[in-house]
Amino acid sequence: MSFGVDRSIDLRHDTICMAAASHRPSPIAWLIAPAVLLFVLFFVLPFAVMAMMSVYSGNPVTNPNAYPTTRHYERFIFDTAGIFHDALWATLRIGLVTTVISLLIGYPLAHWMARMHSRLGHALALTAVIAPLLTGIVVRTFAWMTILQDKGVINTTLMSWGVIHKPLPLMYNEFGTVVALVHIYVPFMVLTLIGVIGRIDERLEQAARSLGAGRIRAFVEVTLPLSLPGILAGSLLVFALSISAYVTPSLMGGTEVLTLPMLIAQQVGTSFNPNFAGALGVVLLLVCLVIVIAYNRILARLSGEQGLA
Amino acid sequence: MSKTFDGKVVAVDGVTLDIAAGEFFSLLGPSGCGKTTSLRMIAGFEMPDAGRVHVGGQDITDVPVHRRDMGMVFQSYALFPHRTVVQNVAFGLRMRDVPRADIDRRVAAALAQVALTGMEDRRPSQLSGGQQQRVALARALVIEPRVLLCDEPLGALDRKLRQQMQFELKELQRRLGVTLVFVTHDQEEALAMSDRIAVMNRGRVEQVGAPTEIYGRPRTRFVADFIGEINLLEEAGKPRALRPEKIQLVPPAQARLSGTVETANFLGGATLYRVQAGGRIWLARETHAGERSPRSPGDPVGLAWNDADIVTLES
Repeated sequence: MSFGVDRSIDLRHDTICMAAASHRPSPIAWLIAPAVLLFVLFFVLPFAVMAMMSVYSGNPVTNPNAYPTTRHYERFIFDTAGIFHDALWATLRIGLVTTVISLLIGYPLAHWMARMHSRLGHALALTAVIAPLLTGIVVRTFAWMTILQDKGVINTTLMSWGVIHKPLPLMYNEFGTVVALVHIYVPFMVLTLIGVIGRIDERLEQAARSLGAGRIRAFVEVTLPLSLPGILAGSLLVFALSISAYVTPSLMGGTEVLTLPMLIAQQVGTSFNPNFAGALGVVLLLVCLVIVIAYNRILARLSGEQGLA
Repeated sequence: MSKTFDGKVVAVDGVTLDIAAGEFFSLLGPSGCGKTTSLRMIAGFEMPDAGRVHVGGQDITDVPVHRRDMGMVFQSYALFPHRTVVQNVAFGLRMRDVPRADIDRRVAAALAQVALTGMEDRRPSQLSGGQQQRVALARALVIEPRVLLCDEPLGALDRKLRQQMQFELKELQRRLGVTLVFVTHDQEEALAMSDRIAVMNRGRVEQVGAPTEIYGRPRTRFVADFIGEINLLEEAGKPRALRPEKIQLVPPAQARLSGTVETANFLGGATLYRVQAGGRIWLARETHAGERSPRSPGDPVGLAWNDADIVTLES
């Protein structure tokens, strides 16, 4: 190891030493054991079972006649009933729209909060953002139902004012689903963005302004590109959460909306076809995986380009 | 101009500064004295509650930051981390819609000026502190600003590099003839670089003058105490001050006051003594001519001075 050596000269040597040192396991490495256990027990194992089920005709443990088959995947891919692909597209569409709207709502809010100088103001705003998380998803979805349904607050008010004569279709469709999902997932977007935007030095924007950029230009040239990692991370989080959402789409979507998670629940609960449900689960996971990999690629490229790594 | 924060804290209280074109002007004072707030009002980041900012006879108080044509160098440099050296320096020109070819030429010239040729495609994170400092300087200067504002630009550098940058910055400022307003809490830095200094304290300007004037003829007790070391005296009810180097150490027989050396701080070219005499501590600085070794604590010494060197301060 080098001590007190000029860092600028000795950077490479330092890095090598640090890399060598990091091979030695930390004495508190065992502290991650609970997390590993949890992950194996409640993710790896169930997923292995699900993946296994998806390539068998029945449950190979209880049914000795079960045989390996690709028919569940074929059923999804060829989709003779014409609903599986629709469910996939609906899932992705709802996920995408929810993500974009959450970003449009969340970014200005996060920017405002990250730049807030008053500690009290920041604490209050943060409480307001986090408070909805303290209520269960089911409760919040029911709240939206009382607001959006045909005899809900909005429709009865508008009708009593004579603005409309028959109720607007505010729920039991994708619109209502997206509204409720946005409400539920905006805090995740905001919290992710606050961290990233808060770490961007305000003086960077001031420097841009002193160099002749107006406020908007300074934002677009400096703060926005520097907050891209946060935008990507927040979007990824919200997208993953909304395409896997089950309660909200089933309550808010009614019979009009069918997403993959709802389809999976149907296959397990009503059709008693856990093998096909397993195949759908694998498909949903693959979709997520593709998006996460794409995200990592984009982020790595941005980091490389912008020296943010 | 004045500036109040939250309606309570008066950051800058009736500061009037008259800065000549082409001048190296320093705002010097302890932290929280309002020097940075003053600078930010000149830059346009803060609006004065009262008072106006004029540049070249033109009232710019209501002109937004990005139209003021002022270069600014921040203490943290505020280089854009997602852009290369060239992109950082070119930023101001790009905002002014300067043609591409001119941008390339002027950026290259600016980088040559601060001796950074060859670093064009590096990121700020790949540069040393001194190099980042130079990029910040080039970025502010390339737009040919009317005024260059520097907020403790050398504060983050180590002593040796800071001294070198002091020379370079001053030299650059003289060569370009740009008006430079320099905020610092480092009195040595202000004395070394400035044409004139405004010493600030608690939102007010205590004294404005050339470095020699500020040092040699401090007007107030605060200025006398803040700049360098000084012996504060009380004579006939009036505060007075005497610089340590104006006190000679002599054999006790020829002294106006005799006492004993308490501590001796060897400073290289000189030694700073704390001498116990006449019921108080005196600071005396003796430059080393010849090989004579410094006196040691406990040695008896005599103090002598010339009454003309005593400065009377405003009470």
